[in-house]
Amino acid sequence: MLLKRVHFSGSPIPYIFIVPQLLIIAVFFFWPACQAVYLSFMLEDPWGLSSTFVWFENYQVLFSSAEYLSTTLFTLVYCALVVFFSLGLALLLAVKANSVIHGQSAYRLLLTWVYAVAPAVAGITAYFLFNRHIGVLFQWITQTGWAFAPETNAFDASVMLVLVSVWKQVPVNFVFFLAGLQGISKSLREAAQLDCASGFRRFWTITFPLLAPTAFFLMVINITYAFFDTFGLIDTLTQGRPGGATTTMVYKVFQDGFLGADLGLSSAQSVVLMVLVLLLTVFQFLFVERRVHY
Amino acid sequence: MQRASVFDHLILWAGVIFLLFPVWMLFASSTHSVENIVRDGLQFLPGGNGFEAYKTALTSASGFTDTATGLRMMMNSLIMGLGFAIGKIVISMCAAYALVYFRLPFATFWFWLIFSTLLLPLEVRIVPSYEVVSQLGLLNSYTGLILPLIASATATFYFQQFYKTVPDELLEAAQLDNANAWRFFKDILVPLSRTMMAAMFIIMFVVGWNQYLWPLMMTTEESYYTIVMGIKNILSVVREGRVPQYNVAFAMVMLAMLPPVAVVVFFQRWFIQGLVESEK
Amino acid sequence: MIKQTLGTLALSAMALQSFATTDIEWWHAMGGALGETVNTMAEEFNASQTDYRITPVFKGSYEETMTAGISAFRAGEAPHIIQIFDAGAATIINAKGAAVPVQTVMEKAGYDFDINDYISGVRYFYADANDTMVGMPFNASTPVLYYNKALLAEAGVEPPATWEEFETVASKLKANGHAALSQSHTPWIFFENFHSRHNLQLTDADNGFSGLPTKLMYNNKDLSMHLSKVKEWKDKGFYNYYGSAWGDNQTPFEKQEVAMWLGSSGSFGGLKQAADFDFGTTYLPYWKSVNENAGSTFIGGAALFAMNGHTDEEYKAVAAFFHYLTLPETQYFWHEQTGYVPITEAAYELAKEDGYYIANPDAEVGVKQLSLASGEWTKGYRMGFYVQTRETIYREMDRLMAGETTVKKALQAIVKDGNDNLKRFARTVK
Repeated sequence: MLLKRVHFSGSPIPYIFIVPQLLIIAVFFFWPACQAVYLSFMLEDPWGLSSTFVWFENYQVLFSSAEYLSTTLFTLVYCALVVFFSLGLALLLAVKANSVIHGQSAYRLLLTWVYAVAPAVAGITAYFLFNRHIGVLFQWITQTGWAFAPETNAFDASVMLVLVSVWKQVPVNFVFFLAGLQGISKSLREAAQLDCASGFRRFWTITFPLLAPTAFFLMVINITYAFFDTFGLIDTLTQGRPGGATTTMVYKVFQDGFLGADLGLSSAQSVVLMVLVLLLTVFQFLFVERRVHY
Repeated sequence: MQRASVFDHLILWAGVIFLLFPVWMLFASSTHSVENIVRDGLQFLPGGNGFEAYKTALTSASGFTDTATGLRMMMNSLIMGLGFAIGKIVISMCAAYALVYFRLPFATFWFWLIFSTLLLPLEVRIVPSYEVVSQLGLLNSYTGLILPLIASATATFYFQQFYKTVPDELLEAAQLDNANAWRFFKDILVPLSRTMMAAMFIIMFVVGWNQYLWPLMMTTEESYYTIVMGIKNILSVVREGRVPQYNVAFAMVMLAMLPPVAVVVFFQRWFIQGLVESEK
Repeated sequence: MIKQTLGTLALSAMALQSFATTDIEWWHAMGGALGETVNTMAEEFNASQTDYRITPVFKGSYEETMTAGISAFRAGEAPHIIQIFDAGAATIINAKGAAVPVQTVMEKAGYDFDINDYISGVRYFYADANDTMVGMPFNASTPVLYYNKALLAEAGVEPPATWEEFETVASKLKANGHAALSQSHTPWIFFENFHSRHNLQLTDADNGFSGLPTKLMYNNKDLSMHLSKVKEWKDKGFYNYYGSAWGDNQTPFEKQEVAMWLGSSGSFGGLKQAADFDFGTTYLPYWKSVNENAGSTFIGGAALFAMNGHTDEEYKAVAAFFHYLTLPETQYFWHEQTGYVPITEAAYELAKEDGYYIANPDAEVGVKQLSLASGEWTKGYRMGFYVQTRETIYREMDRLMAGETTVKKALQAIVKDGNDNLKRFARTVK
């Protein structure tokens, strides 16, 4: 891989530069990651006092478990909803922000700051707002006649979780969409203005196709978010309840391995996730990376 | 045109309120007394208690050793955010430099090795990571808190992309001047990357500050608690059926989000740039 | 300012004596008011002598504390003392080499140890197959029924002793516009203690005391009847289900939305602070139709375990602290502050002599319930990976109450998961 036409020569120097990074990932990434793969083939007592090699038993247990199946399904549905709504909402806001002349930077500020709120902090904030005894959102919802009960009703809990996850993710998508919109050249837009009188049609025939690569790439980002970054949010908001209905795959890794002390089973789940991310990355390289070379 | 524009502003305002509303409610309620909150729920308007709850949150300690005050936890979060951001930027810049500017044997292999770290977030490899960190004797230390988080390639990827756009002529000129690799890096590349570093810094600081599960697992000494993990204690109080000091709890939540939000707001331009670049 | 000065003084005092002090760490799961009581006790212990210094560390919920301990043990960084809850008992007691039995620790350090000093209800719950006490019962509680005196009087009813009575009581309360009951911790109260109260077997191998069990016996006609009734009560508005979190079910009682609440005797202290009405305490109701002579319940809560891999000097410190904890005065203080039962006969006697129960008859209910006739199956239970089985119980209960499953299917699912967990665990023990 030749990245530069000209190079430095001399052998020890590049190693000095690259070794810190390699060392850190070797110790803090590859070692633990290999450990996870290794553990996924073992049946261990929680304290690590005895272990047996059990081939693929942990995977068998996993794939034959109805719970794991429903967790996977929930994760996919949850992910799809979060991606759809956070992208849709962000796109709407970005298009509007792009079209206003006055106060654009103020809007940008007011629509992006939520990015900095930690998922766990977002979760606890929502926990209070939806609280049965003090939560104002809880009161509003029940006033509409909906007997809202996120502690016992799977649907209500999922709605709440999706809403909060979308809330947290809109800013990132907004930033990218706005950047994408501003990247569409002025002359192109003016030409479009002449061609299509209707703003609505103009958006769908000209602007949207040009934004598609951004949206496509954002989809990958959002899937990663829904899979991994929502951990803190779930742990503070629903803890996967009620009835395991809001447990995502990552949260289950934590529940089985961390709280349940079954490392083998939990590691097998980690490996499954690793494979999923690998697939996602391949997908990204095949379909999305082309965009980067603008 | 005029009408459409009003409509646009309405939608944008709806978006602004959607994002602001939850946080505003907690903030307004944090200035009320506990009794008020228990009786009337969350409040829309600020109350008469002022910033008293914030004083309590910052100065009173929850644990045994009297060290885990809000202030101390914020300090730890700050160290974590700064340490993570700086550490990651320095290490990634160096690695990217080696990858781009040198004819490195097995360069492709190193490249893939580094980028495969994007595959597996810390949450998923957390138990083995914990074991490694403890075998190295790094539990309850800032090093142990920060290093495992640095083991991911996001920033390396980004600096590598950036270096590729730096004109080759610069290196040729430097070589004519007999500049060595270190001087080229220090005197030319680093100054050139300044904006990029700032942008990356904002993003990484936020990521570092916001860590939750890792510090929760790693720290047993109260003097190392971070504020984001500190809010977990609030929840355990509520879940066990006790009435928490609501206003102080809300103040803690506000304090946990204030610094990263402030950074993003004040350095908006770099933040946007950092976000767009780093996620690419 | 004063606090700061005191802190500095304490620090310098510590520095002076540090050459002789053995420091030990204690990981616990006692948050909030309980945590403060724990801290008070630790401070008192530290002040009472100069050889040892204990630092309690709050590690979150019971599950989180246990996991933190497990991870630390695997990494060779285990704390000296860890608090492990009832459901985790099998995990630590079955693992040879994870914990040093409390009996051994005490005897080695030269303290007299007699298991019969402990009240009968707690004696064997954390003991091994040879009746050696492994974990020292610390916060031992038992499920009791709390009732709102005014609401019950309004409806003209007495607190129910049996579930049969409960049905009439509940319908009268309902007629008065009140839901009768909510309950925290389904697995503990409606599963484990349902079995001990009615003296029913939980698993093969003598509830796990004589070997590693592989068969969970929850799918029996009595529990099935009980759960069907509970579901029926829920539909009739006798029983309100607020989800699986402890607090979500306790708060409605404090807010007088329900007239009775099944909770822990250890909730007494917190309840007294939170409720601004008069409430009473009584035994956990039982089904007359299942067992007319219903007896003792299990303890819940947790025990303290001395973890393996420390120095003799440190175990001496652990023993000294355990000794301090079991002193009648310490136990009485703990009992009085929190509502957890006094774990030794001596402490119970002290509380009686002091006239504590004359002023607070409710505080004695837990101890008395644990002293009821014990049966064949009331000693305790040892179930592997039971933390996950409890998760399944919570999950199925959520689904049952939401009408997503039936009692039959729920019990089948629980027994299937439970058996899988038991078998898997049995294979890890060597």
